[in-house]
Amino acid sequence: MNPNEMIVKIVSKNFDIPNSHTLDVALKNGRYESIDKLFTMDPDDVTEEVCKSGLRGKGGGGAACGPKWKLMPPLDERPRYLIANGDESEPGTFKDRQIFQYDPHLLIEGIICSSYAIGAHDCFIYIRGEYKFFIDRLNAAIEEAYAAGIIGEKVMNKYDYRMNITVHRGGGAYICGEKSALIESIEGKRGHPRLKPHGKECEWFFGQPATVNNVETIASVPNIVLNGYESYTKYGTEKAPGTMLFAMSGPVKNPGVYELQYGCKMTDVIEQIGGGMKEGLKLKAVIPGGASCPILTAEEVDKAYLDYETMWSIGSTLGTGGMMIIPEGVSMVDVAKNLIEFYHHESCGQCTPCREGCGWIDTIIKRILDGKGTVSDLTTILDVCETMNGKTVCVFAPAVKDIIKSLVQKYRDEFVSYIETTEKQGDAING
Amino acid sequence: MGEVVNITVNGAAFEAEKGSLLIDKLLDENIHIPHFCYHQALGKDGNCRMCMVEIEGQKRPQIACDTPIKAGMEVRTKGENIEKVRRDILELELINHPIDCPTCDQAGECKLQDYYMESGFYESRVNVDAKTHHAKRIDLGSNVMLDRERCVLCTRCTRFCSDITKTNELAVLGRSDHSYIGTFPGRPLDNPYAMNVVDLCPVGALTSKDFRFKQRVWFMNSFDAICNGCSKGCNITVDHRKEKYKNDEIFRFRPRRNDAINGFFMCDEGRLSYHGENENRFTTPLLEHNESNNEDIIANIFKYLSTSKELLFLIGPNLSTEEMKNINNLASKLNVTISGYSPDTLDEFFGDDYLKNKDRATNRASFKKIGINEDEAYFKKSLNSASVVMIIDNTYFENNLALLEGKRIISLFSHTCKVVEKSDVALPIASFYEKTGTYTNCDGIEQRVVSKMKKDNGALTITTVLENLKDMIGKGKL
Repeated sequence: MNPNEMIVKIVSKNFDIPNSHTLDVALKNGRYESIDKLFTMDPDDVTEEVCKSGLRGKGGGGAACGPKWKLMPPLDERPRYLIANGDESEPGTFKDRQIFQYDPHLLIEGIICSSYAIGAHDCFIYIRGEYKFFIDRLNAAIEEAYAAGIIGEKVMNKYDYRMNITVHRGGGAYICGEKSALIESIEGKRGHPRLKPHGKECEWFFGQPATVNNVETIASVPNIVLNGYESYTKYGTEKAPGTMLFAMSGPVKNPGVYELQYGCKMTDVIEQIGGGMKEGLKLKAVIPGGASCPILTAEEVDKAYLDYETMWSIGSTLGTGGMMIIPEGVSMVDVAKNLIEFYHHESCGQCTPCREGCGWIDTIIKRILDGKGTVSDLTTILDVCETMNGKTVCVFAPAVKDIIKSLVQKYRDEFVSYIETTEKQGDAING
Repeated sequence: MGEVVNITVNGAAFEAEKGSLLIDKLLDENIHIPHFCYHQALGKDGNCRMCMVEIEGQKRPQIACDTPIKAGMEVRTKGENIEKVRRDILELELINHPIDCPTCDQAGECKLQDYYMESGFYESRVNVDAKTHHAKRIDLGSNVMLDRERCVLCTRCTRFCSDITKTNELAVLGRSDHSYIGTFPGRPLDNPYAMNVVDLCPVGALTSKDFRFKQRVWFMNSFDAICNGCSKGCNITVDHRKEKYKNDEIFRFRPRRNDAINGFFMCDEGRLSYHGENENRFTTPLLEHNESNNEDIIANIFKYLSTSKELLFLIGPNLSTEEMKNINNLASKLNVTISGYSPDTLDEFFGDDYLKNKDRATNRASFKKIGINEDEAYFKKSLNSASVVMIIDNTYFENNLALLEGKRIISLFSHTCKVVEKSDVALPIASFYEKTGTYTNCDGIEQRVVSKMKKDNGALTITTVLENLKDMIGKGKL
């Protein structure tokens, strides 16, 4: 595919327009156009449209958005909430902030559409605490929207639907991007993920029904409402229709965020959109969707297509679409150390396997880097990974296992030769 | 109870309530299931991951504390696979544990120690030089000491403070393996039930300032009893020990589960009330303020009983039902007035809406059952006309000594008090935890306490005293 076929601008349509974050410019460029159509539809029809569009959650799991909305109980006297997850704490992921920076009104429009579909009148945007600039910009946009009567007691000054939006700054914990920990955090508690329910049900915010969606997912809704589901399904693959904001980082010529339709070949994206590797560098590996996805070797990258199903079939996941490109010459032991240090620091400490496992792997890899490692340490790492897998409240520990296990297994030779070389050096010094 | 379904655990068949938690069934059936964070009073939290079980048809082991029972469920708590899973989790639990069992006060009743010993995991492959270090002696308040290094972060203590007492003093602070339990600055652990966190703590992280380093737990003997701190009658376990060359001494009370009365807990005041058993005891019989012996005292009591005309028995509401009945029988046989007047045990400030009852008397309900008069008017009238008053374990006169002016006083007490000093005849008797008896609590529940104390202080029980008296009365002479 050539770049023009790959790039489809739906969410990022207005990103390049100067001052696109201000209400004036936003209104001139199609923002809030979907609202008139929205209020001609039944909330259930909106949900149905989103179901047909096949819109999938952009936060990493790739769960279908429409069916998730259907988990909300039938309307009753209870308040209901929409929570927009803009914690964006996954290393290598920097897409939501583009929305906050360049098109916050698209997010507000999406919030109105999504809230209407699930019957919520209050929306909380949970935003990464470090995003000072983006928080200010988002708050400015929300204030503009309130002042213009777009939200508030009525929507667009005319539709009798109260809509309130509150921005909640996170305290800086990675785990608060997990939806139940995020809810605990807004409730004023410690960001500890909750035990998962045994059946399918919605989330519970202060004991009331709530839905948590990623910011980008919500921003994808207005187009579907305005132009119908076909406008979305005509892009992407059958199971992953539409587009996604892919973030590309590492030593490529043009790193950045690009909205691509699903199903593009990864090498095409790196070569044609990212401009290929910087002069003199050769691609060694790619971590495809944020730091916790299993790493892809250069051979696997050749087989990779950017949609959920293909990525699963080659043993990784699409995650948040934040591709981290690693060139030849980078030591995978260093990569492992860099990542595990992050996870060791960020484990919430609730479940034993994660709390102690991350720390132990971190210590072992540090020992290897210090030249005190042995080959049997690698077995221990894999054992600990196994203990961490599937035995915790949330998927933090399995994600750590994914990346660490893939690194140690796929680059075992590199670890072994590192251990052996440093051992000799140590012997030479000591000898 | 909801729908009952059949399940099997390790091949054995059981009936269980559909939808109830698997771990509850395992605990109720006494099937061994290691766990730290789950507690039947606090519910599930799912953080320790020790209660892993294998369930037929599930590809991964599941935590029993978050598994609702389904019909036909086949559960395995034993077997190589599942034991390895638990051993792996335990290995992680021990990475940063100081392993200082020899100096840890919890040793002998520590879950971590128990599970480690039964896992047979004797060779460590943890070659971590630098364990995470934390403060080891933190006074949280309310007699609770915290050792953060030993903590397994099961959060039972924080959940107790948030869910049961609703005082929220304790919280987990920090993240990852640097997490620790703590209080907010300047806000110590301070609630009337705080010391329950010591029992809840499965390891040696929370210990009682009152008990720590006083006794190794394996040296102590235990018996079941009830707390005599108030009329609730919380069930307790009494831990006592008779050391060589010393008297049998109580070292602590621990709450014992009784769903009808106290659930799993007890108040701190009741817990610490064992101190009263060892302190301020009345041991030497006194006759006209001179040292005497039990035989002479009982003979003198008989003399008073057989020669005096206007007698009043004033008995306390902490006596056992049997004792009350025996005294009452004696009173009617001798045609003596008996009163249970004891307003001094009412303490409005003590009562709350949980376990603490404003009536500090253990067995007042039995007064009504037996028909012993507690009225003030009746008591005052009887007192006025009485020339001899026999006071048995009733503390009313402590603050009303003047009322006893000009009367002869016989007193039977386990602890010294002003009345003892003023008495003509004073006989030390066995204390609450040194005797066997039945008590009826404020909700009308009868409970029997069988003491296993072997105190060597010569104090007789009231029952023995009465038997002696009856013998003498039967013979009609000394």
